[in-house]
Amino acid sequence: MTRGSIFKLLAYAVVAGAVTTAVAVLIPWLPTAATRQADRMWFSIWFAEIIAIVVFAVVAAVLVYCVVEFRAKPGDLSDGPPTHGHTMLEIIWTAIPTVLVVAITIVAAIVIHDNGKAGANPLVVKVITQQFTYQFEYPNGKTYDILRLPKDRNVKLDLSSKDVIHSFWVPAFGEKSDAVPGISTSIVITPTRTGYYPVICTQLCGLGHALMRSEAIVLEQAAFDTWYTSADAAPAPAAGGDDGKTIYTTAGCGACHTFTAAGSAGKIGPSLDNLSSAAAKAGQSLDDFISSSITDPDSSLAAGYAKGVMPSTYKTSISGTQLDSLVKYLAENTK
Amino acid sequence: MTSVAHDHHHAPASPSGLRKFTAPGWYRVLWTTPLVGLIGLGIVGLIRSAAGWDPVWKSGPLATVGTVSFPMGLLIGLGGFDFWTYYASGKKTRPESHDGHGATSWKDYFRINTDHKVIGIQYTVTTMFFFVVSGLMALLFRAELAKPGDQYFNPQTFNILVTEHAILMILLVIIPAFAGLGNIVIPLMIGASDMAFPKLNALSYWLLPIAGITFMAGMFAPGGGPSAGWTCYAPLCAHQPMGNIFFNMAVQWGGASSIMTALNFLVTIITMRAPGMTFWRMPLLVWANFSTSLLVVLATPFIAGSQFFELFDRVMHTNFFEASGGGYVLGYQHIFWFYSHPAVYIMLLPGFGIISEVIAVMSRKPIFGYRLMALSLLAILVLGFSVWAHHMYVAGMAGWLRVPMMASTLLIAVPTGIKIFSWLATMWNGKINFNTPMLWATGFIATFVIGGLSGVWLGAVSIDIPVSSTYFIVAHIHYVLFGGSVFTIFTGIYYWYPKVTGRMYNEKLGKLHFWMTFIGFNATFFPMHYLGTQGMPRRVADYAPRFHDLNAFASIASYFLGASTAIFLFNMIWSWTKGEVVGSNPWRAMTLEWQVSSPPPIFNFEEVPQIVGGPYEFGVPGARHAILGSAQAEPVATGGH
Repeated sequence: MTRGSIFKLLAYAVVAGAVTTAVAVLIPWLPTAATRQADRMWFSIWFAEIIAIVVFAVVAAVLVYCVVEFRAKPGDLSDGPPTHGHTMLEIIWTAIPTVLVVAITIVAAIVIHDNGKAGANPLVVKVITQQFTYQFEYPNGKTYDILRLPKDRNVKLDLSSKDVIHSFWVPAFGEKSDAVPGISTSIVITPTRTGYYPVICTQLCGLGHALMRSEAIVLEQAAFDTWYTSADAAPAPAAGGDDGKTIYTTAGCGACHTFTAAGSAGKIGPSLDNLSSAAAKAGQSLDDFISSSITDPDSSLAAGYAKGVMPSTYKTSISGTQLDSLVKYLAENTK
Repeated sequence: MTSVAHDHHHAPASPSGLRKFTAPGWYRVLWTTPLVGLIGLGIVGLIRSAAGWDPVWKSGPLATVGTVSFPMGLLIGLGGFDFWTYYASGKKTRPESHDGHGATSWKDYFRINTDHKVIGIQYTVTTMFFFVVSGLMALLFRAELAKPGDQYFNPQTFNILVTEHAILMILLVIIPAFAGLGNIVIPLMIGASDMAFPKLNALSYWLLPIAGITFMAGMFAPGGGPSAGWTCYAPLCAHQPMGNIFFNMAVQWGGASSIMTALNFLVTIITMRAPGMTFWRMPLLVWANFSTSLLVVLATPFIAGSQFFELFDRVMHTNFFEASGGGYVLGYQHIFWFYSHPAVYIMLLPGFGIISEVIAVMSRKPIFGYRLMALSLLAILVLGFSVWAHHMYVAGMAGWLRVPMMASTLLIAVPTGIKIFSWLATMWNGKINFNTPMLWATGFIATFVIGGLSGVWLGAVSIDIPVSSTYFIVAHIHYVLFGGSVFTIFTGIYYWYPKVTGRMYNEKLGKLHFWMTFIGFNATFFPMHYLGTQGMPRRVADYAPRFHDLNAFASIASYFLGASTAIFLFNMIWSWTKGEVVGSNPWRAMTLEWQVSSPPPIFNFEEVPQIVGGPYEFGVPGARHAILGSAQAEPVATGGH
């Protein structure tokens, strides 16, 4: 290689590296980290990013150089030099990538090791998922459909699922885990910024998957404590919450159904605002129709809705008295 | 074609009268398909009524048996089992007249044909058909995704389209496209007259359209089509409508086809190489198909198992993956990915082989570091079996398992990097001819490097967790399987087009196709990285309004990308009859397939060729790869002549 060609190649590499760096830096790829865990993850991303930029710049420079410089002239039928290989070069491009990927492995392993530590006294919140809702159960036994967290305290989220696989993800929190029926999974987060964050299900879980969302609110410790101990927190259904409206909310009916009285506007299942005519069509009394539609959803389908969409788990997940008050609530508030 | 070959070839006499209905062919299919199919369903009814089960005609068991019995009827009608049935029953088998060989009219592509070149074309055309079909599905759901909210499809239809698009692209396009190209060129490349098991070869092709039709029939199954994503995760899949039974069973047909072809390649490559062709003189495509076939044979039974277990959970109430019955939900993912990760290499290694052929020939240089190139294929093969759980970093499996899986996953970047660096070194100082195949090969390197680097990211646990199951994954998989695999398939199709047809494709249209695809592809999929890191999950028909702009952009770009396929199809069809007639070796390549006429003679070689050197000795004065009989085309003169 002449000095001129080395200079040219370097110039290509610098340009490719600069363009890639600009794409990496100028576009805000990552949400602002809102947990200590996300900070560590973002660090590992940037670590790998720098390696990726260098590798990409080298490959792009050589590729562009070849395309520009080694084009055969029209009519040139000659062959190139019969180079069969170069042992030293081959050792180098085996060894350097090995070192780089080992470095990435070590960094990532340290990050997940640190991120797995919950510390001495974490706040443990149970995240109970089902099609297509989240419920968050706190140590005091109360359950909410919105996750509230104190800033700067380790939180351990224990995930479980009542039906199929769901997942819990807040983009700014970094951490994510599936909620799997039959086993318990968990993640640890330490929120560092107050604010409102979307909770997203990322595992295809049925027709309502795109709408399986909740909200996480990070509060200052004092504000969290005030909320946590306040009396007007919604009571959990397990602790005697047999009021129909509460069951409607906590069982997740509103995620799929529109029901004006409860203020829900779900679009996956049929609206519950006009149940009387549907009951008449099915030839059942209103109470019987509602009850059988909850416990055996496929027994009578609204026009345009498919079998097997509504979970068939309610016949076991709601107690008999809860079912009665839910039926009563729906019957009284529908047309 | 040589006259000698012609003498072996007798076009099968068309049977007349009622004989039409007993001889293998579509007339026989007309009655064997309903007969065998209905016998299958009847057995289900008989058993259920004998056992006193209600209802006697239950959709689940009927679909399970029907997706076996009707295709079996079709294969029996076509004559897929004639030879073996005769043989097994002690009946006199028909003497080998080679009448199953070759094609003289279009009808010969629609029967059991034992000619590897015909089967190769059958495969390739079938995969292009499904490429168009599943590509159109993608355009349909991209239309839905152009705006947030529900526009054209309800979530059920959307999920069906996404599921079908993915599974068809993987099992009916990419994997069999390589089987097709391999079928055409592997026997030629190693100096064999055909594949080792031509009848098995014919049968493995015919399982493929059956798999495709079964997948698509599932879309119209009563209750709804397969809608649990192509990964069909338990337990969701078992609780979805009946179309998922079709999905489970179609995977069996596609998988069986894959395994049979791979077995055939293995035996062919191991036992039928021409004298003098040692393993170290094999073209790299042969090495690649050898490694791929080992992967297919070892790994494919696992996906077959995963789908059967899931089906049994649904139909027979077993509890492999049902937590309520003591099953282990993550067991499905472990078994599924034990195939489906190696499947990524099944979809890449043959492409690596194609790229090696094209880059060496078009750069007029020997491949750089031939032995390391071959060994790196084997390294990927071995490492490929130890990385499956990197798809499960957030799935809830044992935490410690993530670290060794990460280490082996990232190590795969090393042999893959060796390949990329060696291709670049091959181009270095070459005399590069930038025709359409070379353009595709170069484009492949550019896009695949991006997919490979994002793959390294996804291999690292702490980077994977935030982006897994988001649009970042959608971007990555398309950079690997479209920018990787599909680009190599196009490279191969353009490269061997003159060999298969004897005519040259239109160069201008080929280049236009490349540039439209390259631009459309990057415009469609690059923004998806950003959507993913920002918080858009995959497999959703509806999304947050703030993602609208980029989704609209990706949708428009995807239509541009789709339009490029029309140009490709036009070029292929038009050039087949109207293209410029070219000689046997327009690329001045050294490998054996270019040393015979285009299209090749019916039995490939008049005499068994003698291999005397490496396959890429460009620029080496007087070097030859092979010596053929005098009646064949002269081997290309090399460097300085």
